[in-house]
Amino acid sequence: MIDVATLERLLPDFMVRQRWYGFGDVRPERVEVTDFEVWRDSWPGLVWALARPVFADEGAESDARFQVLVGLRSIDEYMHFLDGKGRSLLGDVATGSGEALAYDALVDGELALEIVRRIAPDFPANAVRPLPVDQTNTSIVVDDSAILKVFRRIRAGANPDAELPRRLWDVGFQQTPEPIAEWRRGDDDLAVLRRFLPSGTDGFVLALTSLRDLYSSRLAPEQCGGDFAPEARRLGEVTASLHTSLAQAFGSAPGDATAWTDAMADEVTRVEVPGISPDELVVRVRQLVGHAGADVGAAVRIHGDFHLGQTMRTDSGWFLLDFEGEPSRPLAERVLPASPLRDVAGMMRSFHYAADVALAERGDDVDTELRSLAAAWEARARTAFLDGYRAAVAGPESLVPTEPTAFASLLRAFELAKAVYEVGYELAHRPEWVDIPREAVQRLLSPPL
Amino acid sequence: MTLIIPPGQGRRPLDDDPRWYQTAVFYEVLVRGFADSNGDGTGDIRGVIDRLDYLEWLGVDCLWLLPFYSSPLRDGGYDISDFFSVLPEYGSVDDAAELIEQCHERGIRIIADMVMNHTSDAHPWFQESRQDRTNPKADWYVWSDDDQRYPEARIIFVDTEASNWTWDNQREQYYWHRFFHHQPDLNYDNPDVADAMLDVVRFWLRLGLDGFRLDAVPYLFEREGTNGENLPETHDYLRRVRKAVDDEFPGKVLLAEANQWPADVVDYFGEGDECHMCFHFPLMPRMYMSVRREQRYPITEILANTPEIPDKAQWGLFLRNHDELTLEMVNDEERDYMYSEYAKDPRMKRNVGIARRLFPLLDNDRRVAELFHALLFSLPGSPILYYGDEIGMGDNIYLGDRDGVRTPMQWSPDRNGGFSRADFAQLYLPPLMDPVYGYEAVNVEAGLRNPSSFLHWVQRMLHVRREHAVFGTGTFEVLGVENPSVLAFLRRRHSTDGDPDDIVLCVNNLSRFSQPAEILLTELAGMVPTELQGRVPFPPIGELPYFVTLPAYGFYWFVLQSLPEETES
Repeated sequence: MIDVATLERLLPDFMVRQRWYGFGDVRPERVEVTDFEVWRDSWPGLVWALARPVFADEGAESDARFQVLVGLRSIDEYMHFLDGKGRSLLGDVATGSGEALAYDALVDGELALEIVRRIAPDFPANAVRPLPVDQTNTSIVVDDSAILKVFRRIRAGANPDAELPRRLWDVGFQQTPEPIAEWRRGDDDLAVLRRFLPSGTDGFVLALTSLRDLYSSRLAPEQCGGDFAPEARRLGEVTASLHTSLAQAFGSAPGDATAWTDAMADEVTRVEVPGISPDELVVRVRQLVGHAGADVGAAVRIHGDFHLGQTMRTDSGWFLLDFEGEPSRPLAERVLPASPLRDVAGMMRSFHYAADVALAERGDDVDTELRSLAAAWEARARTAFLDGYRAAVAGPESLVPTEPTAFASLLRAFELAKAVYEVGYELAHRPEWVDIPREAVQRLLSPPL
Repeated sequence: MTLIIPPGQGRRPLDDDPRWYQTAVFYEVLVRGFADSNGDGTGDIRGVIDRLDYLEWLGVDCLWLLPFYSSPLRDGGYDISDFFSVLPEYGSVDDAAELIEQCHERGIRIIADMVMNHTSDAHPWFQESRQDRTNPKADWYVWSDDDQRYPEARIIFVDTEASNWTWDNQREQYYWHRFFHHQPDLNYDNPDVADAMLDVVRFWLRLGLDGFRLDAVPYLFEREGTNGENLPETHDYLRRVRKAVDDEFPGKVLLAEANQWPADVVDYFGEGDECHMCFHFPLMPRMYMSVRREQRYPITEILANTPEIPDKAQWGLFLRNHDELTLEMVNDEERDYMYSEYAKDPRMKRNVGIARRLFPLLDNDRRVAELFHALLFSLPGSPILYYGDEIGMGDNIYLGDRDGVRTPMQWSPDRNGGFSRADFAQLYLPPLMDPVYGYEAVNVEAGLRNPSSFLHWVQRMLHVRREHAVFGTGTFEVLGVENPSVLAFLRRRHSTDGDPDDIVLCVNNLSRFSQPAEILLTELAGMVPTELQGRVPFPPIGELPYFVTLPAYGFYWFVLQSLPEETES
């Protein structure tokens, strides 16, 4: 089998090729294997490890650890599952039983199945396949009935994506896939197995379906066959139910407007928004939160990275997924109670993105009429979502501001902070998209209270 | 006029399977509007007989005749004034017997409407009952001194009726009616009424009818403090009818019209001891919604909420029928949506529904009509076609009540559309004459002559469907597809004798744009899909989701077969 030293030698080049590796193209100087276990000693071999990249200049990220599962097969074997998967290769290694190829075990159906059985021995598993769209973690589909999500970046403490679904189910919230098993070692959440939603459609895809219909028929959104408002309204209702369930599971505290304002004021100055001064942003945030007065609702655990892409329309309504929170924030910050309106703001931003992404699909074939239809669609989706949300969130204790003007003003503050964050993200990753959030920042600065 | 019928599939004997209705395709015939054999301006039973060769060619398995009994025709014949005679304009009981015989010779079964809930106020039973409070039939209807009883019962014909009670001057009491005021409800608490209606059933089954479509069954009994629908007493009576039918006339079918939510409708199957079939009302408006919204969820949600039905039972599926496209079984939001999408002119609304035919509802789009029929023929249930929809007939929204969808069948471009040799003014309703849907453009003769017509397409699809009993009796399983515009499902019949399972895969594109679909089918990896219309084999299913692309409103029916054992080459 592979030994620790060989693994440490192969990992730097391997890691830098992975989507889940969060340090761009900065190759670690070396990688230190902190945990190591041989799971299977015969062909094909299987090794589990946690590994810490070490950088030349020891920075704040020096405690980052990644989970790797290494498969090993004899170099003479033809490994069809590696076709087109050069990224998943670690390299050649010499073993006691001859030369072998080391690779990411999760692309090997046989080994992936073994991993599933190890994590959830009671779950009947027969076949697995990879789920192609994945960024920060690796997911595989088991028999089209369950998903194994293997966390890659391991942070000490409960991973909210393992913790929240379980706690939500415990209090009766079932609009997230049912947890089947969690795999932990010590303080670390390593993987979760949960129900797969085979008949589901990504909420963003569903919104695009509505928008393509809109742009093609050029009627007002409410006259379009593919009107999204009823879906948005139901999504608002489910979101409200998520927040009341989270409050039930984790408790709630009165919202702290001062702390929120300070945090947002700090966030918006971290990004340079072209053409807008940081002071203007800070003033606006303070103004918007201030306008809500004492009527700011509560602080609860929230989803934290809420947008259409984290939702799924199924035959039994909307499902909400992916509770890890914004991956760029430190874990300690992600699990802090926050205003539920932060999630709502995320969805508002997502409606805007959907409308503009569908416009962009049309290339040059965009005119002022389509632009105004996009705005009308977004406004209608917002209103419908908020109607559904407000009607369903109303309860004995108010999680959100009770007065409509306070609600709108606080929501706008969170939207502004989110849009500024998006500007920073787009500038760093997808500069061609930066106009979408920048336009939103402009909008959120301009209208009167 | 004589129709030249192309060669068909050859004459089939009447299939003696007692569960024939599970695989049958039904065809709804309005006797008044189908064909007029004697030139009096009204269709008749002999007219239907004259057209049986056409229906045989089309490939339908069972006719459903709308009521042909004696009636003042104030509700399209659902106001029956004598259960044992045929409306003279339509013919006689002898004509009915001949129609039944001629159908059976062609391997076609025939059922008829039966109205159990009420009679016409012209029925002698009611005439006697209304005379005073002591006559022998005094208790055959539901009478009351005031109009305040059963306040929870809703009014169904909201366009015309203000109350379920109407004052009778003669008897000086109110009588109960769930539908029009000229249709008093029979009193099923009276055992004589219950017996009399069973005798009506026996009379027609003895003549050879293959069953009944039971009109308005949820309302037979009334009880204080209830809405008068789906009462246990009603189910008790239906069990009694079923038992009598099974004992005395095996192989006959009872098809219930219960416009209710699926969870309530399934009660009409009982434990396989009430009706053989029930219409699936809520599915139909959702098919329209799904296509308009370009997403499958309206359809898959209602099917996911449809309970299992007994082994010998079957759903009746339809796209349109002689009534309005009913919107009672949708919620308010969905109803507003349907009105705004499909009834843009307020004249299109009737009661709680939309009075339009299929093709006008679909903006005369042949591609959508084909998709709708592909769904009708492949979703779980027995399809029921409405006369004229197979040629793409339109409607006339300016006619009153639901007459707009009951205009004469269009047989040819001749006078009166080949329906009748009467003077135009004598016709029971004017045939359609507009340039798009009028009989000069849309008629059976033209459809028969053109091999690529919609009519020929329907005929071919019915032939394909007949080859695969799994469409009637298979299980139904929605498959995972990320693309919301694609509805993919399996119909599967587990084999009991060691043969491979009978499996059909249906993939439908509900969108007007071309769409890709990655179908989760890994469970069937290794099987080869063969498209059923052209028998073209597609690539085998592999370990990844099965990928197909569909043209706008396109669909595929695949039969899945195991890859033949690999032979050494």
